[in-house]
Amino acid sequence: MASKRPLLIPSPRTPNSQDLPSIPLYSDLVNPQSQSANFKSFSPMDSNGNNPIENSPIPPNSTTLYSASQRSISSILSANSGGNSVREVNFSDVGTKPVRYGSRGTESEAFSMSQKEINDEDARLIYINDPGKTNERFEFSGNSIKTAKYSILTFLPRNLFEQFHRVAYIYFLVIAILNQLPQLAVFGRGASILPLAFVLLVTAVKDAYEDFRRHRSDRIENNRLAWVLANDQFQQKKWKDIRVGEILKISANDTLPCDIVLLSTSDPTGVAYVQTINLDGESNLKTRYAKQETLSKLPEKEKITGLIKCEKPNRNIYGFQANMEIDGKRVSLGPSNIILRGCELKNTASAIGVAVYAGRETKAMLNNSGAPSKRSRLETRMNREIIYLSVFLIALCTVVSACAAVWLRRHRDELDYLPYYRKKDFSEGKEDSYNYYGWGMEIFFTFLMSVIVFQIMIPISLYISMELVRVGQAYFMIRDSRLYDEASNSKFQCRALNINEDLGQITYVFSDKTGTLTENKMEFQCASIWGVDYSGRKANLQGEQLGYSVQVDGQVLRPKMKVKVDPELLLLSRSGKDTQEGKHVHDFFLALAACNTIVPLVTDTSDPAVRLVDYQGESPDEQALAYAAAAYGFMLIERTSGHIIIDVQGERTRFNVLGLHEFDSDRKRMSVILGFPDKSVKVFVKGADTSMLSVIDKSLNLNIIRATEAHLQMYSTIGLRTLVIGMRELNSSEFEQWHFSFEAASTSLIGRAALLRKVASNIEKNLSILGASGIEDKLQQGVPEAIESLRMAGMKVWVLTGDKQETAISIGYSSKLLTSKMTQIIINSGSRESCRRSLEDAMVMSKKLMTVSGVTHDTGRSSGGAATLALIIDGTSLVYILDSELEEQLFQLASKCSVVLCCRVAPLQKAGIVALIKNRTDDMTLAIGDGANDVSMIQMADVGIGISGQEGRQAVMASDFAMGQFRFLVPLLLVHGHWNYQRMGYMILYNFYRNAVFVFVLFWYVLFTCFSLTTAITEWSSMLYSIIYTSLPTIVVGILDKDLSRRTLLNYPQLYGSGHRHESYNLKLFWVTMMDTVWQSAVIFFVPLFAYWKSPIDGSSIGDLWTLAVVILVNLHLAMDVMRWTWITHAAIWGSIIATCICVLVIDAIPSLPGYWAIFHIGKTRLFWLCLLGILIAGLIPRFVVKFLNQYYNPRDIHIAREAEKFGNLRELGGAEIEMNPILDPSRETTR
Amino acid sequence: MNTKGATTSSAGGTDGASDSSSAAKRNSKKPKYSRFTQQELPACKPILTPGWVITTFIFVGVIFIPIGLASLFASERVVEIVYRYDEGCIPTNYSDQKLAYIQNSTTNKTCTRSLIVPKQMKRPVYVYYQLDNFYQNHRRYVKSRSDKQLRSRASESDTSTCDPEGTTPDNSPIVPCGLIAWSLFNDTYGFLVNNKTLKVSKRNIAWKSDQEHKFGSDVYPKNFQSGGLIGGAKLNASIPLSEQADLIVWMRTAAFPTFRKLYGKIEKDLEANENVTVVIQNNYNTYSFGGKKKLVLSTTSWIGGKNDFLGVAYLTVGGLCLFLAISFILVYVVKPRPLGDPSFLSWNRNPSGV
Repeated sequence: MASKRPLLIPSPRTPNSQDLPSIPLYSDLVNPQSQSANFKSFSPMDSNGNNPIENSPIPPNSTTLYSASQRSISSILSANSGGNSVREVNFSDVGTKPVRYGSRGTESEAFSMSQKEINDEDARLIYINDPGKTNERFEFSGNSIKTAKYSILTFLPRNLFEQFHRVAYIYFLVIAILNQLPQLAVFGRGASILPLAFVLLVTAVKDAYEDFRRHRSDRIENNRLAWVLANDQFQQKKWKDIRVGEILKISANDTLPCDIVLLSTSDPTGVAYVQTINLDGESNLKTRYAKQETLSKLPEKEKITGLIKCEKPNRNIYGFQANMEIDGKRVSLGPSNIILRGCELKNTASAIGVAVYAGRETKAMLNNSGAPSKRSRLETRMNREIIYLSVFLIALCTVVSACAAVWLRRHRDELDYLPYYRKKDFSEGKEDSYNYYGWGMEIFFTFLMSVIVFQIMIPISLYISMELVRVGQAYFMIRDSRLYDEASNSKFQCRALNINEDLGQITYVFSDKTGTLTENKMEFQCASIWGVDYSGRKANLQGEQLGYSVQVDGQVLRPKMKVKVDPELLLLSRSGKDTQEGKHVHDFFLALAACNTIVPLVTDTSDPAVRLVDYQGESPDEQALAYAAAAYGFMLIERTSGHIIIDVQGERTRFNVLGLHEFDSDRKRMSVILGFPDKSVKVFVKGADTSMLSVIDKSLNLNIIRATEAHLQMYSTIGLRTLVIGMRELNSSEFEQWHFSFEAASTSLIGRAALLRKVASNIEKNLSILGASGIEDKLQQGVPEAIESLRMAGMKVWVLTGDKQETAISIGYSSKLLTSKMTQIIINSGSRESCRRSLEDAMVMSKKLMTVSGVTHDTGRSSGGAATLALIIDGTSLVYILDSELEEQLFQLASKCSVVLCCRVAPLQKAGIVALIKNRTDDMTLAIGDGANDVSMIQMADVGIGISGQEGRQAVMASDFAMGQFRFLVPLLLVHGHWNYQRMGYMILYNFYRNAVFVFVLFWYVLFTCFSLTTAITEWSSMLYSIIYTSLPTIVVGILDKDLSRRTLLNYPQLYGSGHRHESYNLKLFWVTMMDTVWQSAVIFFVPLFAYWKSPIDGSSIGDLWTLAVVILVNLHLAMDVMRWTWITHAAIWGSIIATCICVLVIDAIPSLPGYWAIFHIGKTRLFWLCLLGILIAGLIPRFVVKFLNQYYNPRDIHIAREAEKFGNLRELGGAEIEMNPILDPSRETTR
Repeated sequence: MNTKGATTSSAGGTDGASDSSSAAKRNSKKPKYSRFTQQELPACKPILTPGWVITTFIFVGVIFIPIGLASLFASERVVEIVYRYDEGCIPTNYSDQKLAYIQNSTTNKTCTRSLIVPKQMKRPVYVYYQLDNFYQNHRRYVKSRSDKQLRSRASESDTSTCDPEGTTPDNSPIVPCGLIAWSLFNDTYGFLVNNKTLKVSKRNIAWKSDQEHKFGSDVYPKNFQSGGLIGGAKLNASIPLSEQADLIVWMRTAAFPTFRKLYGKIEKDLEANENVTVVIQNNYNTYSFGGKKKLVLSTTSWIGGKNDFLGVAYLTVGGLCLFLAISFILVYVVKPRPLGDPSFLSWNRNPSGV
């Protein structure tokens, strides 16, 4: 059942931990050099970092001090291919003093070099600027893309081939073919193919339309223009004509037509910024680099030649492995040197690159997998009943053929002469056998013929109806304005079309926390500076959102986001650093503004005088801190590799970034070493409280540390994410020492990451505490209410989060997942044995609690929710528990708990937990998440929901449904899920019933025709029966019927329980329906039989009576069950009956058919109308009575709610005197 | 049933964000509000309340019982004389070899009987023949005809569906072809009242629609019953098919194995106790398969012939409905359940009692 799609994309948030040795670039730190000079001379020290040339206030100095050895080293090892691995820093005062700092997520030179060579067989060779040679040996795919499946020529065979993958279609095809055999021709050729042809046609038209749209978008895409180098100049060329090996020029804001390896960019350092929103949905800019070997080459002027050897196309958008031979040198290429199709070039005037993968071989296209396909639970159950129906079918056919056998045996002597049989043909002189194949074969043929006649016992139209109904249901879900998210401007998306009804039966909800329950929009809430708590809420609650702005060159710069500020703190921060307090505040905000990896981007607004500063960064926390600092007057305006410019209270200050130790998950902190304008050097550190408190010098300011700790405690209990900030001033010897070891570490060839970590640890110590920040990861709107509703609906909500336990618990409380009434079981163990012990203890405890609460249950539920259990378990324990024998124990325990919180879980563990439940119960599971780390869980669960939020689109791509907010889960499940389930369940049963009634009517008649399978109902009517006569109403009802209004369903989530109890579709209902079927078919058949026995009625006339009777009866049956009559329902039901009458009239007006004019004759008699009326009333009475008695004396919740809705005493439902029990008993009744 | 309008549309989502600029609105993917897309079309929501159900049952009972009585009454007034003659019309010396008798073309097949009219029979008196155990609805039989051939002379040779009576041995088509026509019923009846011949009219015994559109006026019988095996009546080759009323009646194959076919009409009242002498030409072979042949004289009523079934059925259904109505009233009085009573909700009931 689970879809087996591969996890295409590794999380971009998992940094590449291999910070590997890099090149020693600088041995002489004191030699001043300028960036521009570096660039001009194309010196080896010019790295891939940002080049701040245009910002440098210092004129270029000499560049002569490079040693040859450095040159050679760096030319061999080339530049660092990785992200921001190498940056240069200017010491503004001393002159340029380049420093490099540790990197993150890089694929450095040594790493690539150390990797095994790409085998020639596995590689594709690309001759730069020589597409002819490139494609000579092996034709690479061109750049035209084809998402369309069919062409005009291939449409028919391919589409048919795909449609016949469905077993049901094969069945009907076989029957249609059987009917073509002359011995078996029950129906005319046309009539027998009609139903199948109709179904195939409808699907084919749908497919053709979709394919047409794909063709159109393909054509638009393929005909876009790009600049391609041809004859030493760039010419416009259509995308589809681009070939691998050609050199392309991309301008700003252009979309990439194929995957290219960057050769050079308009930026002198070879940086290009790209936006990958089309690829992975992340909106922040990413940096890509051109290799310095190719940087300066201008393809118009000199011919670039070279050879790129790269791996075969694959779908990993975060990986690329290649090397390039150019000018006799060999350089290696990594993922940061390639820009993928679909990305947009931003903030870079132009970029030049060589196409390596084109068309369908681009990574974007390879990742373009279709919507996931899952099968709904209801459909699986339906298949069981389909088997019962097949058994019925075989039984009916057996009865007919057995009777026929007996009849033939008993009349074997008369068969030659019977006027209505005539086994022998006397017309020729000799006596031939006429269409008689012997007793055995006759029986066999009778069996096959009866299969043909009774074929619609297996409802062919059901499959197409279900598809149409699901499309309709999806339409209404998508168009539901209550599932629209204003903030992200996103509609509900239905990506999987075949599990709509599963939404009505969910029992387990697995939710991610960050971005799902919370907004993942960090907001700076409070700060504790130097032991003083500044929480905005204390001062004024009006929540003033201050937009801080500065004037630069007559232009106003303003941060993009406004932050709520504490006026007291704002005053302090403006007061300057004259007072002690002011100084601390100054340092604190300086740390916030500087100690990060945020890149400020200045964007224009509609007002030319105002420009917005947009902080781009990978961590939302850092963004929040940078915005907060800006709001308090410390606006980060510019970041280059070597310096940052911070506007401190209106005064531009330039700081040199001497070093930066990036965040890693071991240290859990980061630090930046700043050179101040006054030549002092300070290190600023920020990090998680646990890791920071260990490196803070406790001997200093102990009481301030205490106070900060208290504040931290306070912040985390209100659910804030906390960071501690510390700093230290470095004296020159310390700095020199650090600098030396840092250089050594960052240039070391082996174990660079570990060395850098060590260097970082050495400098990040004895810090003096500056303060702490509290960032709120705001709960999404309506989350507590949503969780409450889901719980009341009988669903178990599990939260699986990567956060630490305390944060998870505090979020648990604030989202009302946990309540103070609950007993918490915390499993937090480091070994398998201790896990076992704690599980056992927990089991004992839960049993004790269950018995206690069991007693209270007996004395009445109203005595209160009793003790409910909450299980809190962490990732390390799960490592020991999952995939071991403890799994079963965990399941037992978890199924007793109403809440389960898993913290610190890895993505695969999330899937493991979902699988734990899915494999052990029959209950439906739903997983909801927003990030790449939720993909595995989303794919594992029966229903996967993606939140289209901040963290990109990977979760959405993997999901079955996507929406903007967690709280939409409530209307989705309680309202749409409930409706879909109820509609679909009813529709399936009704389709079974409808076809079975018809088959039984045919069957009864066969018993009166010598078992010769004559049908009184014309073949056209039998074929049109499930196409025109009865199909539309069931589809309309399946799409539009509503048992309860949205408001009732939302107000009383317990009504969702009907899906858990399988109330709309279960085996009992199936059998009851089948009994009703037999009764109704008997009434339809036998009333006319007795009324017209011994009368001159002809077969066609009575056939018309049966046709009308059966169609009107099944439509009235439906009408009786419709709960909400809109004009569409009216039109569909009455329209179908009228359409049937018209069809019958038309068929009877064709003179070449035997039944010519029959309906007009029989319609003139009163007996006909009396029969019809009698059939309808007598047929419906049993169902009507049972339905009424059932609803009146054994009412389901839905019935009561409907009555209450109608008669207006809705408010009393679960009113004051009767307490609603929010948590359902696990041992609740289930009907399977 | 009372129609309750849909819920108020105020929650339609137009609230808020109304002051956003028009550009934002254009870019917004927000689904447009309409009652249709929000599934809030005005609707009638019927509920099976006891009042409704009881009223329905009483209503049905009140309608059905009079109809039942009326049809029983009508059926009673139909006068019907049924006379089975297949056994009786065999001369005693042939009683052991009925088949030989009927297949022998030289035997005298005339059979004269007299029937007493039990009650006055108002004209028109319909004359039917009734066959029992004759499967005119057998698949092989039903299919063995050519409607094209019957309709027009041009498709005379269209006999592909008529086997085994499609063509003569020398391959000229038989018109009308097929088993149905071949087995055309060929007993004839003559009636005498007080030694005066009663005229049996064959006018309008066949459907006019059949005569006009289904059986061609230019199609004449050809090669009919000329083969080795004679199935039944011969046709006058000089009369077009559209005028062959007996054939047309016969070709409307009966729905059930026991059926009547209209033979003719007597446009004269028959008085009670009148003695009708019937002269039967007993030609048709039903003896080979144990079929019965009956002569039926019957008047008609507004519900057709004599058949009590419908009246009884209506009375039964009507009575049942009244009974159900009364019992529901009783049960309702004894054990009422307030509609929409929340105490019946599953989560309000004692879970141990579920």
